Amino acid sequence: MATQISPCSSSSTTFSPSSLNQEPFSSAKLVNFSRKSSPSRWVFKIHSRINPKNQFELKSSNGYPLNAVSLQDGAAEKPLAKEIVLPEQTESNLSVTVVGASGDLAKKKIFPALFALFYEDCLPRNFVIFGYARTKMTDEELRETISRTLTCRIDKRENCGDKMEEFLQRCFYHSGQYNSEENFAELDSKLKHKEDGKLSNRLFYLSIPPNIFVDSVRCASGKASSKTGWTRVIVEKPFGRDSESSAELTRSLKKYLAEDQIFRIDHYLGKELVENLSVLRFSNLVFEPLWSRNYIRNVQFIFSEDFGTEGRGGYFDNYGIIRDIMQNHLLQILALFAMETPVSLDAEDIRNEKVKVLKSMRRLKLEDVVIGQYKGGKSYLGYTEDPTVPNDSLTPTFAAAALFIDNARWDGVPFLMKAGKALNTRRAEIRVQFRHVPGNLYKKNFGMDMDKATNELVLRVQPDEAIYLKINNKVPGLGMRLDRSDLNLLYSMRYPKEIPDAYERLLLDAIEGERRLFIRSDELDAAWSIFTPLLKELETKKIAPELYPYGSRGPVGAHYLAAKYNVRWGDVTGEE
Amino acid sequence: MATFSPSTHCPSSSPYSNDSSVINRFHQRIALSSIRPKQCRPRKLSLQQSSLPKAVHLQDGASTKKASPVKSDGPVKILKDGILSVPPVTPPEESIDIAKFDFDKENSTVSITVVGASGDLAKKKIFPALFALYYEGCLPKHFTIFGYARSKMSDAELRTMVSKTLTCRIDQRENCGEKMDQFLERCFYHPGQYDSQENFLELDKKLKEHEDGRVANRLFYLSIPPNIFIDAVKCASTSASAATGWTRVIVEKPFGRDSESSAALTRSLKQYLDEDQIFRIDHYLGKELVENLSVLRFSNLIFEPLWSRQYIRNVQFIFAEDFGTEGRGGYFDNYGIIRDIMQNHLLQILALFAMETPVSLDAEDIRNEKVKVLRSMRPLQLDDVVIGQYKSHTRGGVKYPAYIDDKTVPNDSLTPTFAAAALFIDNARWDGVPFLMKAGKALHDRRAEIRVQFRHVPGNLYNKNIGTDLDLATNELVIRVQPDEAIYLKINNKVPGLGMRLDRSNLNLLYAARYAKEIPDAYERLLLDAIEGERRLFIRSDELDAAWSLFTPVLKELEEKKIVPEYYPYGSRGPVGSHYLAARYKVRWGDVGSEQ
Repeated sequence: MATQISPCSSSSTTFSPSSLNQEPFSSAKLVNFSRKSSPSRWVFKIHSRINPKNQFELKSSNGYPLNAVSLQDGAAEKPLAKEIVLPEQTESNLSVTVVGASGDLAKKKIFPALFALFYEDCLPRNFVIFGYARTKMTDEELRETISRTLTCRIDKRENCGDKMEEFLQRCFYHSGQYNSEENFAELDSKLKHKEDGKLSNRLFYLSIPPNIFVDSVRCASGKASSKTGWTRVIVEKPFGRDSESSAELTRSLKKYLAEDQIFRIDHYLGKELVENLSVLRFSNLVFEPLWSRNYIRNVQFIFSEDFGTEGRGGYFDNYGIIRDIMQNHLLQILALFAMETPVSLDAEDIRNEKVKVLKSMRRLKLEDVVIGQYKGGKSYLGYTEDPTVPNDSLTPTFAAAALFIDNARWDGVPFLMKAGKALNTRRAEIRVQFRHVPGNLYKKNFGMDMDKATNELVLRVQPDEAIYLKINNKVPGLGMRLDRSDLNLLYSMRYPKEIPDAYERLLLDAIEGERRLFIRSDELDAAWSIFTPLLKELETKKIAPELYPYGSRGPVGAHYLAAKYNVRWGDVTGEE
Repeated sequence: MATFSPSTHCPSSSPYSNDSSVINRFHQRIALSSIRPKQCRPRKLSLQQSSLPKAVHLQDGASTKKASPVKSDGPVKILKDGILSVPPVTPPEESIDIAKFDFDKENSTVSITVVGASGDLAKKKIFPALFALYYEGCLPKHFTIFGYARSKMSDAELRTMVSKTLTCRIDQRENCGEKMDQFLERCFYHPGQYDSQENFLELDKKLKEHEDGRVANRLFYLSIPPNIFIDAVKCASTSASAATGWTRVIVEKPFGRDSESSAALTRSLKQYLDEDQIFRIDHYLGKELVENLSVLRFSNLIFEPLWSRQYIRNVQFIFAEDFGTEGRGGYFDNYGIIRDIMQNHLLQILALFAMETPVSLDAEDIRNEKVKVLRSMRPLQLDDVVIGQYKSHTRGGVKYPAYIDDKTVPNDSLTPTFAAAALFIDNARWDGVPFLMKAGKALHDRRAEIRVQFRHVPGNLYNKNIGTDLDLATNELVIRVQPDEAIYLKINNKVPGLGMRLDRSNLNLLYAARYAKEIPDAYERLLLDAIEGERRLFIRSDELDAAWSLFTPVLKELEEKKIVPEYYPYGSRGPVGSHYLAARYKVRWGDVGSEQ
């Protein structure tokens, strides 16, 4: 039974009439942003994307000039909606400016995600998209570049070509330096022209290297902020290299932006199964009682890629796998996994709980970390053979770590993380290994190691999203043989629909002001403080990584680290 | 998976009999010293199986209750004496097996006498189950099967009759024809009256011939109407008991009609048999998923913490058949659905479901716990029962008959063909949790399942996504016993996509998808258990008493007050009264929702 709830919108019109009123800032200086800005926003979902009429009625009966309302205008694309005339002042316009439009991320992820949102009618009726970069390019050229990467959702291909055409007509380009106030002022006047006097909401997506973050934020905020609506800035990792540089970056950003204008993206938080983690925990009676040290033996967060840096190691070499994957993606998932029940599903409530977990965590120690680096083989280049990587680089391309949360719920439970490049598979998953059954009546049916026969809950984030629970079961037949079977839910079997890309969700959330999946400054500080001492120690002591062959399962050191805490990695057993 | 003992042989039902190598060695040692060889392996078999000494007492119904290894069976002694002195160093397994094997091969035999061999059950279930056991190498080397009934028939005629119903397992068809012939060669027939000592004496003589001086173990399967139970038991026990090995008797329901008649039956049986010679069969206990119920509960950490009133809102036991009595209502009319299905099958499953953790998997430990649950239950009240009877219904031009249209049923019969009941267990674990049962004939589908509905999540953050009735979105564990064995857990899940829509999905395990092997029939398991003396799945006298005392008052009241059943059309979902009964206890039947 599917329960009602919203489609693309994650905020609601009828129930949160206050949300826009709270965002009428005129410059970069932000007005009070009550964290209750939209009470239980994604809880009250009334609209169905499938039923835009409905959506519209709700909106018109509301009449507030809200940003949320403006989002609903997506529905106005439908013929029926057009007939209903709204009061002039409710018309608003969204402009999304992709700063660094010629970059890879922009081409591969951001524009396609924006198109998907448009295709699904999730964008407001009035919107424009601007590409901004240093390259000289015409609007046409930008459209040409973008159109190569646009695809239509598998499940409804109708009108895809038309839609694409419509979308591209809304895309424009402005070339400029990232640190030029003047260029941003030019952008501002172009935006104004497009906005045509409507209430203007502006979203900047900074898809540029970290060293020019602050400059472009300064220019964008100083010269191209919205005067009438909101201005929000999405920034991507890296958010510094350690506690100090991250704090420095935050300080600089805050000179020009208020906390709630900053949307730090961690695209893992937009993954379907990461979103589902809280649903599983909090909307099923059967899981929450088990969610503690009483029943959980250990938790594993596993990320692996089956390719190396492949000639693009320049950025990576400066950061390494711990900063690139662990300190952000895996740690964020860990925090969601381990947090206490939040007061509500509001962004601030959830982020408060995440910060609490992060603050309860022990600083990571050198002896609880294993680092590795892949070496070449016959057909594959080793990491240091990458021309963009120094020959003597000690940067880890693999790391395993054991973390601990010193609170009442998790005391003593090892949280293991493992992340690596150039491994044998590509996957991201969470594995929860339960304790063995005390006084198990069927002990004799197991072998020596009781722990091998424990229940395990696996959330596979990618590829092939799935949830499964390993249970002990009797093998059918005469006699009594036990076996581990899976109670499982394979998404592709149950849900034929294509799962949206994480960027779609996150862009939509940023447009709607839903901050749940973005990282708050204090979260970021807490996350860095867990990893910074270790990262410094690794670098000052010049710890050499354990080398592992390209395409292997990674350094065996990871097993010894796990063994130290009586854990066995769940992903490298004979079964699976 | 490597962790679990892979057994390549036909394994036994004994919980101790798995073959993990460590256990195995241990087990071999025990088996050696006590001369309780491993059961049911192809070629190396023995009858007195038991892997651990504590099970020994129970094993030898016929011989002695206190069977210590040394004392148990005369002929077994020779080897035993030799080996008992062996220090606890495990000799090479090979040699042990051989020793055991040679010994058993020559020295014991089991004769299975199917009393009532011309009946339906015998033809459809018992002989095929025996053949399946034989085909899988689970029967001892020396065995004979005797059919016993009143009809005059030759051995050959019996074989022809039996052969019509034999089938080979889907997954290993090789040699099936050959095996079938070999099996039929072991089948014999003896005609006789069920109450004739003389006829049973003749049978005894024939059995002796086949036993040929080996240790004789005899199993009688009474597949006859209840009114001749006692006579047949008397004759079999006095005139055809095994002189050297054990004698066991399998009896099928009905075990009486109420507390008194059941007690009388038990008393009479006990005149001729000891408690541990009596194997009361409830074939539902032999169903794969009923067997698995305890495995699920006790070998998974994640279920036991949830297994109480704190998390479980209600439990439903549902049995439905999609056909009526179809001209064979004579027996049924005298009993009704409550006695036929609820008081035994469903109640047994309930007891297994709700019992406390037993001390061990031993038959007596499990049955002790089941008795405790049954005795903690409130006797069923008339208020808590809804009865129904199917009436005729025309659908698609086909007229389906009413129950009373059945020629073997009296026209004014009030016998229920459907019943729903709410039961309660007044103990610490289950106080206040409704256990609902529903059983019926001539319903719209055929199924047997257990549904466990969990409570709603207290303070659920996602309440607003769920709608007004929180109970509609609770977790539910479903164990589908038949058809299409499956286990699934309904969980709330986010519908993939932008936004936040919740949906109930199943975490599921469909047996057909996971296990290619055909699941053995319940009768195979139970026959094998009876041969091996494993009593876990058979009903003890005190269990039976406790079960009857729950239902007897309401059954009497129904009959005395001549309560008229609610009529429901053949092929329907049954009387709506069952919904009102459920509603009274804030339950919603899980099997008739729009979803499944």
